[in-house]
Amino acid sequence: MKSKWYTRLSVILLFSLLAACGGGGSAEPGEAPGSGGTEAPSGDKGKTTVQFWHSLGGKNGEYMDALIQRFNASHEDIEVVGTFQGSYDETVTKLQQAIASGTGPDVSMLERAYIQMFADSEVLEDLTPFLEGSGISADDFTAGLMGHSTFNDQLVSLPLNRSTPILHVNKTLLDELGLQIPTTWEKMKEVANALVVKEGSEYKRYGVTMPYDTWYPIAMISQAGGTFFNDDNTSIGFSDNGAGAKMFTYLKDLQSTGALYYPPAQDSGNIVNSMFVEGKVGMMYQSTGSIGGLSSAVDFDYVTAFLPKDEVYANPTGGANVTMLSSSKNKEAAWEFIRWMEMEEEGALEFILQSGYLPFTKKMVESEKIQELWAKEPNRKVAYDQLEFATDTNKDVAWPEIMHEFFSAMEAIMYDSKDIPATLDTFKKETERILAQ
Amino acid sequence: MKTFDLKIVWTALGYLLKAAVLMIFIFPFLWMISTSLQTFRETMTFPPTWIPASPQWGNFAEAMNAGPFLTYFRNSVVVTGSIIVLQFLIMIPAAYAFAKYKFRGKTLLFGMILLAFMIPGQVTFIPVYLMMADWGLVKTLLPQIIPFVSNAFGIFLLRQYFMQIPEEIIEAARLDNASEFKIIRKIMIPMSKPALATIALFSFVSHWNDYFWPLVMTDSAAVRPLTLGIAMLRETEGISNWHIIMAGNVILVVPILLVYLFCSKHIVKAFVYSGIK
Repeated sequence: MKSKWYTRLSVILLFSLLAACGGGGSAEPGEAPGSGGTEAPSGDKGKTTVQFWHSLGGKNGEYMDALIQRFNASHEDIEVVGTFQGSYDETVTKLQQAIASGTGPDVSMLERAYIQMFADSEVLEDLTPFLEGSGISADDFTAGLMGHSTFNDQLVSLPLNRSTPILHVNKTLLDELGLQIPTTWEKMKEVANALVVKEGSEYKRYGVTMPYDTWYPIAMISQAGGTFFNDDNTSIGFSDNGAGAKMFTYLKDLQSTGALYYPPAQDSGNIVNSMFVEGKVGMMYQSTGSIGGLSSAVDFDYVTAFLPKDEVYANPTGGANVTMLSSSKNKEAAWEFIRWMEMEEEGALEFILQSGYLPFTKKMVESEKIQELWAKEPNRKVAYDQLEFATDTNKDVAWPEIMHEFFSAMEAIMYDSKDIPATLDTFKKETERILAQ
Repeated sequence: MKTFDLKIVWTALGYLLKAAVLMIFIFPFLWMISTSLQTFRETMTFPPTWIPASPQWGNFAEAMNAGPFLTYFRNSVVVTGSIIVLQFLIMIPAAYAFAKYKFRGKTLLFGMILLAFMIPGQVTFIPVYLMMADWGLVKTLLPQIIPFVSNAFGIFLLRQYFMQIPEEIIEAARLDNASEFKIIRKIMIPMSKPALATIALFSFVSHWNDYFWPLVMTDSAAVRPLTLGIAMLRETEGISNWHIIMAGNVILVVPILLVYLFCSKHIVKAFVYSGIK
């Protein structure tokens, strides 16, 4: 007898394989899989399915799921299936491979800095005709958040979950020392130094901190009158005018007296947040996305303020936009989802209120709910008001690549105290080389 | 007398070193468990909280309710289970053939297996994904299973193990008219249990914990495993709820601990015998 155990094993195996196929619903390709709890039950025939990829995890992911459920409940003929695709970067990678293999979604969230790269490959749908068809004007949106929407004369994305860097202040600490919230680099230097507590050779308290990110140096370059790229995107715009050297010299100066705590690269966001919550640092440059979490974690008087100015007030924006993919076969339904999310009262407004991202249409800002929230939490209004000075000067297809070079320059200066002019010079040459490609 | 003292010193030193190494491995683990039972406020404090004021068992429920965790769990079980079963079905006969048969092209074939063992998944994932998309399998669990049905490391390890089994035993069995399958089942498998347990555990841990491959191969929650579900607990921006994430991680790790407890006896043996220490 040929052994029975082998047959038995094969049967088990066959079943497990069947189960494996069943896991995704033995669905035809293109049909919505439906066993996931966050996903609404899979569509009946006749319903148009819109695949929507996003990068929101945790609480914000739950708020986004709720938004999708509201949409599905109010639309009988459209079924939006929202799927979390990892971090912003991971979503970009997934989109690249999915577009190449024809398995891309209809609608996707896209971190603003990557939009041009995709727009340049002509895989994003021009939304202009859809906007016109629905009687919406680009002016209905908050101007400061539209910086990453138009490329090559095409409107390829609309703001969704947008944030901006802001100054978070431990007001209690400043009051104790009789200090005012700084509004200029000069004042910032004074206040930050006044906050420093040093015992022996160890700092017990620092003045100000910021996560390890290009966002903050870029903000400060603009404040010092520079731009990240020059006007025709052939080189950097903060070398000849001295803005870059001024910014890094300023930061190194603060760092040398403990006025600035510059965190290690790994997990820097969490490190600076917990230092701020613990009162180990009095002020922090950090995303507006942290306001909600910080408010519930601190036990001191916590306020937000504009990033201090040098020559001018300036701040970049961050977060992600929503885009429609050209490859979508359900563009009408996809647009209905985008339109509803962007414009309707029960659309993204609720998501914005819950998550703390910035309101992105004028209608939203004027809404009672936002006004109420701002009356109750002025910290969030500050974030919106600062958008008046929003400026994004690091827009280029090659930005993701140049970003890595800029990180290297930041590391050389902030961690290894390399010579500032020499480092910036190297960075400038490298950038010009990449931009010339 | 002198040498006796020295012996005690060495033994003590040995224990000390072992304890130190143990701490290195166990510390992150304790950290995870401790954090999973803290409140949000406690996770934010510095210096860190070690023992939560009152253990927050609700964190586990909150983690489980944050997504379709039952689906994730089932997917993890089905994917990992299928991979292991399939691997063994292919690995055992393959290792047997490579260890005990003489046939033309054996060296070449074995070389190819070693080659497969050396090429990392990061090199092949795009072509594999395109292939799976082409076959319309992206919405099933198969892209997470098929690429792993042949376990090159397992074939290699098991072959070495089989080679140590004396030819005489197999010859004797053949004289008694045992079929090749019977030889595998009655001789090879029982005599290499430790190696099989080791391979099963390695395979289980690496596929149960795999994040990269399922992230690349899946587009929807319905076919995703636990690891992706837990990654979803992290905030993309802003402040992450570490207590909830760690509760998710504890849930992820428990099955591994169970499997380890189950086959730890065999594994220690395998390490001793096979000389990988």
